[in-house]
Parts: sequence; structure tokens; C-alpha cells
Amino acid sequence: MQRRHRRAHAAIWTGLAVVLPLAVAIIFTTLPKPAPDAPAVRLDAAPAAEGQP
Amino acid sequence: MSVSYKPVIWNRTKLIYDAVLLAGIVLYILLYLNVGPQISTALQEVDPPIRRMRAFGSLALLLLTFVLAIGPLARLDTRFMPLLYNRRHFGVITAVVAATHAAYVLAWYFAYSPTPQMTALFTSNTSFGSIAGFPFEIFGILALLILGILAVTSHDFWLSFLSPPLWKGIHMSIYAAYAAVVLHVALGALASRRDMTLALLTLGGLALLCTLHLVTGRRERVADAEGSPVDPDDGWIVVGDVAEIAEGRAILGAGPGGERIAVFRSNGALSAFSNVCSHQNGPIGEGKVVRGLVTCPWHGYQYRLEDGCSPPPFRERIRKYRVRLAGTTVLVDPDPLPLGTRLEPLPIPAAPARQGTA
Ligand code: FES
Repeated sequence: MQRRHRRAHAAIWTGLAVVLPLAVAIIFTTLPKPAPDAPAVRLDAAPAAEGQP
Repeated sequence: MSVSYKPVIWNRTKLIYDAVLLAGIVLYILLYLNVGPQISTALQEVDPPIRRMRAFGSLALLLLTFVLAIGPLARLDTRFMPLLYNRRHFGVITAVVAATHAAYVLAWYFAYSPTPQMTALFTSNTSFGSIAGFPFEIFGILALLILGILAVTSHDFWLSFLSPPLWKGIHMSIYAAYAAVVLHVALGALASRRDMTLALLTLGGLALLCTLHLVTGRRERVADAEGSPVDPDDGWIVVGDVAEIAEGRAILGAGPGGERIAVFRSNGALSAFSNVCSHQNGPIGEGKVVRGLVTCPWHGYQYRLEDGCSPPPFRERIRKYRVRLAGTTVLVDPDPLPLGTRLEPLPIPAAPARQGTA
């Protein structure tokens, strides 16, 4: 019983060690990037200390 | 041990364990909410309810990572063994923290939803065809559901009602919950903001857990493969030398199928048992003899030396094996005796007295 259990554990963690980093990498590479002609100043950025530009 | 079921059988160790755990949780939340905004501008800029949501969310991830690390850590170093003792309370508290995170999310993002909150939760994002835009909420809900089921069924009543193999199988879904949490965080918080601390907690935790589990798994596999030498005359397995067994402790042998057998030495006699505790498959051989009873290192279930039965009123049993000595070599019959068979411990003959010199 312990042995079967150990085998199942090893299989599960091998799977997780492969699948999860891969999934995270795919998520990050498919994140939408801002368009090349997007304005440099973003509306959601923190306002400059001096106030309105 | 189980004979009748009380919600929790409290003892001093469990109280200390839970008190330390709760104190750690309170400290984390207080630090996150009060010190966090002073050192992180990102936290300064968000509303207090979002801060609370993030505090409980990151804490749930931290606790889940920790609870999954306890098993392999205890196998690598016995000093971590006490953490195993009350791991189920750890799991239940993790579920409560995760549920608190979910409650804050619902109360903040869906407070003014024209549709019922739950409906809104499931229908607000339906980008199932997109990878980065996939509804990360689904993974959070899945993880919370699993954690909830595991918390509810963590009691020994369910262990006995469902039978240990089924219970163990259900509780292995904790790994699915962990995978869902990693995807929930990656698609949600990590994709929407650059939070290095959370990224480190998520990805560092993942790397740590995979390493710990794979390293311990490999060690176990090597131990299984080594097996124990077999006496060619009768097929009994050679477990080791009697001098290797400390009083009240055991050494392990491996039967032909790889099942481990623990040989205990207590009061000048040897007794061999299956290494598998009937509670949750804990490694009996890593425990010790306490007041004449073999005691499992995980949650303290106890078994009599002579028949492997728990003392009344408890009803758990583990298998015994026949043991013999060839000189100082300990041998065990690889065929277990039927459960409950009485077999007195084998006395270790006294070492011959040293001859004095004239
Ligand atoms: S006491 Fe729980 S596994 Fe042995």
C-alpha cells in the first residue's frame, strides 16, 4: 500500500513539475502587449508629482 | 485513535500547534495590512478591501505551499516530524483563509452586481477560448471547492467511514487544488500586475515543492529497489544485525514486493510489524515503543507488541511477521501473519559473558 502510494506521489509530482512551469510560461508569453503605437503616457499610471502635465 | 468520534480530541500538543499557527496567521495579516503599504507603493494605491483580499489570498497560497512541504520535509529530516502531527488542522485553517479571500472578492468586485453574486462570478468572464484571458476565477473556485471537501472530510470519522484507501485517494486531490491555485494566481494576480513578491512566492514555492517531493520520492525508490537480502535456505529476509536496533526503536527490511517490515526491539525482545500504520499509512518503523506499545510517529496510534492490535477500546490492527535470530542476524518471514495473530516477542539471548583473564 505504502509502495503504491509512493509511486502515485512520484507520478503526480513529476507531472506537476513539468505541466505547471510550462503552463505559467505559456500564460506569460501570451499576455497581450501594448500596441507599438500606444501612447507613452498611460492614463492608469500614477500622476506626476508636479500635477497636470 | 478511533472508537467513538468527537469533533476534536484536544491535547496539549494540538493546542500549542494550533495556537502557534493562529498567531502566525494573525501576525501575517497585521503586517500585510499595516506594514505592507509602507514598503510597497502598489499596496498604498489600492483600497483597503483589496488589500485585505490580497492579504488573505497570498496567505492561503503560503499556507498551502507550507502544508504540502511538511510531508517530504518530515521524510528528509525527522526534526520536521512534529509538524505532521496536526497537519489536518493546518489544512482546515488553509481552507478557511482561502474562503475568507473568496468572501472579500465577492463582497468587493460583485457587490453591486445586478445579477446574483454567484451568477456574476461565473458569467463575468467567459473568455474560455483565450489563454491569457481565461477566467482565472474558475481555478480559484475549483481549488476552494477541493479544499472545502478535504476540510470537511478530514475527521477520523470519514477516514473510517470511507475506508483508508478511498479517503487517501480523495485527499490526494490536494495536488489538483494546488495546481488550480498556481493557475489562478498566474492568470489572475500575476498577469494583471507586476508583483515580484507574489511571483516569488508562487514560482519559488512551486520549485521548492517539486524539488522536495521529487527528491524524497527518489530516495524512497532507491530504498525500495535495494530490497533486503534473502536467506537462500528458507526465503526469510535478512533485516540487519540486532546490535543496530536501539531499545524502543526499529530497523526496516523490505519484503519481495517492496513492502517494508519494521523490527522493533523492546525489553530485550524483537517483534516485527508491517511498516504501514492502519490510520493513514504512516511509517510505523520510524516511531518508537512507548509504555510497551508501538507508537506511530505521525499521529500517535498505538499497537500491542504481541498481536499488533490497538489496546481496547480502540480497534486498529497491523500485521505481524515471524522473526528469528541467526546468531546476531535478524531474519523475518516475508509472509505476514493474519491480522490479530498473537505472537510473543522473540527474546534476544543474552550475550555470552566475557571470559576474564587469569
Ligand atoms: S497515527 Fe496517523 S498514520 Fe499512524
